[in-house]
Amino acid sequence: MKIARLFLLAGLLAGTAAAQDGMEMRHLVRNDTIVLGANPLTSASRTAFYTARGFPAAAIRPYAEACGFSFGMQNAGASGIRTRLADWHVVGADGRRIAFRPPEAWDIDWGKAGLPPAARIAFRWAQFQSENLFEPGDWIMGMATLEMRPAVPFRLVARYRDEKGNHEIVLDQLACAD
Amino acid sequence: MKSFSTSSPAPTERRRFLAGLLALAAASSATWAQGRGMTPLPAAAAAPALRLRDADDRPVDLARYRGRVVLVNFWATWCPPCRKEFPSLARVRKLFKPDEFEVVAVNVGEDPETAFSFTGITDFPVVFDRAAQTMADWKVRALPTTFLVDRQGRLAYRATGGREFDDPDIVALIRALAAVE
Repeated sequence: MKIARLFLLAGLLAGTAAAQDGMEMRHLVRNDTIVLGANPLTSASRTAFYTARGFPAAAIRPYAEACGFSFGMQNAGASGIRTRLADWHVVGADGRRIAFRPPEAWDIDWGKAGLPPAARIAFRWAQFQSENLFEPGDWIMGMATLEMRPAVPFRLVARYRDEKGNHEIVLDQLACAD
Repeated sequence: MKSFSTSSPAPTERRRFLAGLLALAAASSATWAQGRGMTPLPAAAAAPALRLRDADDRPVDLARYRGRVVLVNFWATWCPPCRKEFPSLARVRKLFKPDEFEVVAVNVGEDPETAFSFTGITDFPVVFDRAAQTMADWKVRALPTTFLVDRQGRLAYRATGGREFDDPDIVALIRALAAVE
């Protein structure tokens, strides 16, 4: 194990110094309480990510080909906030409202496909969770997919709740990545 | 219901694949800042058990650190904020004496080789929660999540999302916990 680690460390030093940290957002909106960022995710990037974590390419294809984003959300306010992915939706250019597919629905598919536990664990925790609690200063990243592809451009309506009630924050001019 | 709206145009895309990590990093116009501070956990409940094995299959039990403040960090290599904050675990550990503070990094769902390819050799224990059971026991809702456990083994603070743990505000929290008899 220790020799193997030395080889791994040599590779680490030689090859990965320029690794991106993955914390840049293409679309960003903020208000007094929330910072919300979104990156459209390509099919290729998601396929690479999940096949590296035990998913057969054929199994992850429906997820990878769905319109998907990586979201980052931070509580920049002074009190806790809660989100439910079921309360988020997008509105396409044609006015049609489309919901997000819950991570739990994907996990049911992975269970039926007999995927290994490690792959399912990585998938589960790489998603934007169905329900989140953000204390002040907290922030969460995760991926999410829409139930179907909207007409572009579309807008994301993200709802959240704090001690003052329900609010929403909107990202405009979004499009799926190919 | 209050509503806020804006949009940002897509600048030049920079795409580079690196071990699948780029699923979370495709293009850029705004750099995401780390979170700040940690949230106090007022109930002062005993920390759940944490008995896991390190990369050399040696058992590590949180109970062995009773009498010290312990920072318990749940993380994975595929998690961008986990990667970003990880170097700060080593930095904050060096600010304290070994008999007053320790860091325990709990990798979730991965094997030691995968984790080591990112961490290299560390001065603190990196243990493996392959089935994510300890993560569930600790009621972790997202990665990364970090706890401060006080000298009596009680949960004192929690942070969800990335931090820089050598931030003066967090160092002050650790110092205050370490000073409590």
